[in-house]
Amino acid sequence: MNHLTMEQLVALREPSTEPGSHAARQHLGSCPACRAELDRLHQRVARLRALPTLRPARNRFNAVRGHLVADRRRKRVRWAGLGGLALAASLALFAVVRPAPAPRGAAEAALSNELIETITRSQQLERALVAISPENRVLDSRTATITGRLEDRLQLVDRDLQAAGLMNEQGRLIEQLRLWRERVGLLDALVDVHVTRASYAGL
Amino acid sequence: MTAFGAMELDAALPRLRAGDPAAQEALYRAFEPQVYNLARRICRTTEDAEDVLQETFIEVFRSIGRFRGDGSIWAWVRTIASSKALMKLRRNKYRDTDELFEEAAPMKRDDAALRMDLEAAMERLSPTSRAVVWLHDVEGYTHEEIGSMMEKTASFSKSQLARAHTRLRGWLGEEVAV
Repeated sequence: MNHLTMEQLVALREPSTEPGSHAARQHLGSCPACRAELDRLHQRVARLRALPTLRPARNRFNAVRGHLVADRRRKRVRWAGLGGLALAASLALFAVVRPAPAPRGAAEAALSNELIETITRSQQLERALVAISPENRVLDSRTATITGRLEDRLQLVDRDLQAAGLMNEQGRLIEQLRLWRERVGLLDALVDVHVTRASYAGL
Repeated sequence: MTAFGAMELDAALPRLRAGDPAAQEALYRAFEPQVYNLARRICRTTEDAEDVLQETFIEVFRSIGRFRGDGSIWAWVRTIASSKALMKLRRNKYRDTDELFEEAAPMKRDDAALRMDLEAAMERLSPTSRAVVWLHDVEGYTHEEIGSMMEKTASFSKSQLARAHTRLRGWLGEEVAV
C-alpha cells in the first residue's frame, strides 16, 4: 500500500469510522513514515490550539450599546410616530385638497402645492430609509449618537405635526409646511448617515 | 478564558432579556476575547474582525430571548460569531480569489523564520481554508457543521482541511518533536 494521503490522515482523527479507515489504520501500524506524518499533524493542531488569544485594540461595547439604543429609538419612532404621522399626513392632505369654502388666493394655492410636494418627498425618504433597513447596519458610537439625535428630533416634529393638524385654519398651512420641511431635512440627514457612515451587519 | 458560569447566567438571563446594560456589559466582557480571537483567526484584517465582534454582540443581545438557557451560552455565542465571520468572508468575496491568494506570495521553503511561524503560515492560507482549519481543529466543529455554516457540504470541509494541512506541512517543514 502507498503512504497515506493527507485526506486519510485527517480522517483518522475523526471519531467516526469512515470507509477505508480500517485499511488505513492497518497501514499505519506497519509504516513509520505515516505514523510520523500523523504525529506531525497532531502536533500542528496542538500548536494551533496553543496560539495566543488575540484581543481587540478598541473597546466596541459602546458601539454595540449605541446600536441597541438606536434600535429602540427607531422602534419607538416607527410605532409611536408613524401611526400619528400617517394621520397627520392625511389630515394635511385633506386640508389642502378639500373643496375650499371660498376662492383661495394665489399665495395660499402655492403654499398648498408646496405642502403636497414636501409630504410626497417625506414619504419617498421614509421608503428609502425602510429600504436601507437601518436595523441591519452597524454604526460606530459617534454615528449611533448622531442617528439617535436625528430620530429624537424626528419624533418631536411628528408630535408637533399631529398638534398642527388640530390648529384652526389660519396659520395651519404655514405651520404644517414648516414642520414637513423640517421632517424632510431630518429624514434626508438620516438616509445620508446610513448610506455614507454605516455598514451592513448582514443580519 | 473568562467563564460565564451557569449560576451567573441564570441570574443574568432575565436582565439580559430586559436589555439591562450592566448585564450586557458583563456578558460582553466575558466573551469579548474569545469572539474577537475567533473572528481574527478567520478574517483577514483587524477591522473585519472588529466588525464581526460588534455584529456578533448586537445579534446576541437582539436575540437573547431565543436562547433557551439549557445549553452553553458560549456555544451559542460562538455559533453566532462563526456565522458572522463566515458571512464577512462571503461578503468580501475572498472565496472567489482563494487560489490567487495562496499563489500570490509563495513562501520560500528555506526561510527558517517563516518555517517556524505557524501564525504566518495560517495567514498565508486562503481565507476559506483558514476558516475550516480554525473551526475544525481549534473550535471543534464537525465537518457537517462547518459545511452547513459555509452553505457547502461536509465533503467540501474535509477536502479544504486536507488541502490546508498539506500546504501547512509544506510551508512549515516540520520535524516531529521527540
